[in-house]
Amino acid sequence: MRRPISATESAARCVATVALALLLTGAADSPGHVPEPDGLWQGVMRGYTPNSVKGARVLDTAEAVRLIEEKTPVLLDVGPADKRPASMSQTTPWMPAHRSIPGAVWMPGGGSGTPDAQFSESFRSRVAALTGGDVERPIITFCHPECWGSWNAAKRLVGFGYKEVYWYPDGLEGWQTEREPVTVTPDPVWALAAPADQPK
Amino acid sequence: MRATFALKLALSLGVAFAALAAAPFTAPSARAAAGDDPAQRDARWLDIAKTMFQDRARQNGEAVISLDAPQRALDASLVPMTVTLSDKIPIKGIYLIIDDNPSPVAAHFTFGPAADPRQINLRVRINSYTNVHAIAEAADGTLYETVQFVKAAGGCSAPMGMSDEEAMKGMGEIRLKLADESSDKPARATLMVRHPNFNGMQINQETRGYTPARYIQTISVTSGDNKVFDLETDISLASNPVIGFGLKPQGEIKVAVTDSEKDHWEKSFAASHLSN
Repeated sequence: MRRPISATESAARCVATVALALLLTGAADSPGHVPEPDGLWQGVMRGYTPNSVKGARVLDTAEAVRLIEEKTPVLLDVGPADKRPASMSQTTPWMPAHRSIPGAVWMPGGGSGTPDAQFSESFRSRVAALTGGDVERPIITFCHPECWGSWNAAKRLVGFGYKEVYWYPDGLEGWQTEREPVTVTPDPVWALAAPADQPK
Repeated sequence: MRATFALKLALSLGVAFAALAAAPFTAPSARAAAGDDPAQRDARWLDIAKTMFQDRARQNGEAVISLDAPQRALDASLVPMTVTLSDKIPIKGIYLIIDDNPSPVAAHFTFGPAADPRQINLRVRINSYTNVHAIAEAADGTLYETVQFVKAAGGCSAPMGMSDEEAMKGMGEIRLKLADESSDKPARATLMVRHPNFNGMQINQETRGYTPARYIQTISVTSGDNKVFDLETDISLASNPVIGFGLKPQGEIKVAVTDSEKDHWEKSFAASHLSN
């Protein structure tokens, strides 16, 4: 006969299950429960992200589609570029193709959390050029799900004083469930500022 | 995406090694590539085809080769692919090309006299929604082409859900299972190789850096003195690869695997001891 499970036992099992789940996912925080860091995120760039960015608004795919149609925001893709593994033979075709939202400016490495002043200045001046210096111009930042780069980019833009910053955490993967992406090449101006982050 | 963790974990823990049933034979189904922007996808394919095959003509492969892949994959790091060939013409080899992966050529099989090339199964990683092309190269050099659009994304950066050390445990372990073995007809084999096949795009959650690429480059299978196949592959192959193939056993089956660190593993199997 099965013994009834006491409340304590059941709680202990529950804790064990949660602990196991955390172990399995390898992340200290579970999805949906990641606190916003005070400043820019400087840890692993892929992993569970917070649900919000203070001072910015969060978009789902439907909202992103609508905003792009209605307000022609600046679209900032900070997704990382693919790098050829060093051990791969030079005769193996290496043809990275970065897909993005049509009209997006691809700034690989632009989501870095580095405190470097020169990086910040490069990012600030490039975005200023893209918005025509208009702090009212809406900007959407994105990369991929569980990618801190677009979170950092949104955080920086809020800090620069942009009034309408949108973070689109579902990124390219969210977009391609609804709309066709296009292949883009890195923004040439940004490529000069972040040469190490360009596709190779 | 997260829901696939359990699946990935289960597979990496060895369920894959136990689930050996060969994939059921599926009828060839030619299917046009989907997508709102076929022009850009076509241009991409022409670019790859030019790199791979230069100006060699490619023919519609409908009667020769078919590719069976899920239209929408549950787990982009383990997308099953089945290539089925007609036995009407002799085939030298096949290419499996994932157009939008950074290294598009996922697999190139070259068949030998001990091969029964009618069906190959393997699992691949897919980076974003993409066309997948399967090309058969006939013995006379003619190329036959088929395509399938696959909705899967993120398979290249998906972590294995365990530490790198854990993922590398037993690396190079080779298993082979043979079905339908008899002296007078081809056999179906399932080959399993333990290897994380790190592609350099996965983050190690402990060290907070990218796990360096380390992946299988070649797998050669012989039976007796004859080649079954040579496989050239790289980072698009899923971790712990499982490859289904056909062969005409001609004695001891030898499997040799080489990875990008030039590590080499070999194992021989006595054909008579392999049946179910």
